[in-house]
Amino acid sequence: MDLTPRTSSDNAPLAPRKRNRKWKYVAMLAVVVTAGGFIVSQFLTSAIDFYCNVDEIGQRAGCGPNRRLRVQGTVEQDSLKSGMGSTTFVLMFNNQTIDVRYNGDPGGIFQECIPVVAHGQLVGDTFEANRIEVKHSNSYSEANPDRLAQSKAEQCSLLAG
Amino acid sequence: MNHAGFIIATYGVTFGVIIGLVVYTIKQGRNLSRTVADKDKPWT
Amino acid sequence: MNTETQTFKGVGTPATRLYGLMAIVALGWVFLGGLFFTPEDAVQGDAVRIMYVHVPTAWIAYLAFIVTGVASACWMIGKKHSMGFDRVAGASAEVGVLFMAMTLLSGSLWGRITWGTYWVWDPRLTTTAFLFVTYIGYLAVRGLGGTAQQRARRSSVIALLAVLEIPLVHFSVVLWRSLHQRATVLSPDGDIKMDGIMLFTLLFGVFGFSVLFAWLVSHRQRIMAMQDAQQTTAIDVAVAERLKEAQA
Repeated sequence: MDLTPRTSSDNAPLAPRKRNRKWKYVAMLAVVVTAGGFIVSQFLTSAIDFYCNVDEIGQRAGCGPNRRLRVQGTVEQDSLKSGMGSTTFVLMFNNQTIDVRYNGDPGGIFQECIPVVAHGQLVGDTFEANRIEVKHSNSYSEANPDRLAQSKAEQCSLLAG
Repeated sequence: MNHAGFIIATYGVTFGVIIGLVVYTIKQGRNLSRTVADKDKPWT
Repeated sequence: MNTETQTFKGVGTPATRLYGLMAIVALGWVFLGGLFFTPEDAVQGDAVRIMYVHVPTAWIAYLAFIVTGVASACWMIGKKHSMGFDRVAGASAEVGVLFMAMTLLSGSLWGRITWGTYWVWDPRLTTTAFLFVTYIGYLAVRGLGGTAQQRARRSSVIALLAVLEIPLVHFSVVLWRSLHQRATVLSPDGDIKMDGIMLFTLLFGVFGFSVLFAWLVSHRQRIMAMQDAQQTTAIDVAVAERLKEAQA
């Protein structure tokens, strides 16, 4: 039995509109599946770059030269130098250090005594980075110029491990 | 305020979307309640 | 034609009006306090102001998806398969998707200021994006048609599977090396590293967004109830019409 509502002109367009709506949701599902696949593939591609702490360079399997790496550490105090379009600094973790060179200005809240992740490759003793991401800690405190120098030094020594 | 554009964009979008959704919900509720019998609205 | 009593009241009740009022007060403070009355952070400067909306919207999105999972389980376990549970599940997922979108947007803007990039395929960001897409899929499945019972059955299965992603998202910063910072308030050591007014504004934001969530879900599930009733009425009218035609 055909039960399509056709009682009044108000209800007449209800059925075709509903069919269109169903196709809209089918299309939405197709987009969702594609987006899900894209997200997973991007994550896996990104995971190919090995993630190493500074003290793992040359120690842990995969954290050596001739491959792209992500190196995590804290920018050592008084090591940051900028000029001629490049930025150089010393990255430290667990009292181990590595020199890092980056062509450009890292941006974000990049500064000394802050943890960063450098993407790039080990060339000799220097890590040549082509991307710098700044990590920020999970602690939040009011900015106070009097305490700033002291807390920076504390943060540096704490984060250096 | 540093990075004012980013911060204002965050607050503008968040609160704008919330206000928009609240207004849409109230209007949709009022319009629908005109067409539905009271027995189907147990909260009234 | 439906001749039963109809009043022009909306979907509000004294309880939802109370939630609404509390949400206005709390979110009013978050807006003003977050933008003007809280101090700059020692490291992040003014960028920390984004936290007061980013963190509560993320928490509410989690809460919404958990409510969707619990309501779906109640629908499935309940002997009567009450459609009220299904509508709460659907309404909560709608709100959760919207809050998750706001979380991703505010996080992206915060990341641009602090990390130096809008997006990175980091475990926390990737799992959050995947969670967002999963619940858009859940809403799409709800819209595919069929009877209300069919809709409830298929969407409850998806909701119970999708809710398992939430612990993965939350603990992604612990399970993998991540650019995203670890939890501040829900840190495992219980030590909250945040100054007083900052913490107050953040927690007040969580409270404000929570009562807003309660308001939205109450209203949206009542709207869904009316939409379902409207559909049922249309079918009843069609059946009556055809019976009349057959008798004529």
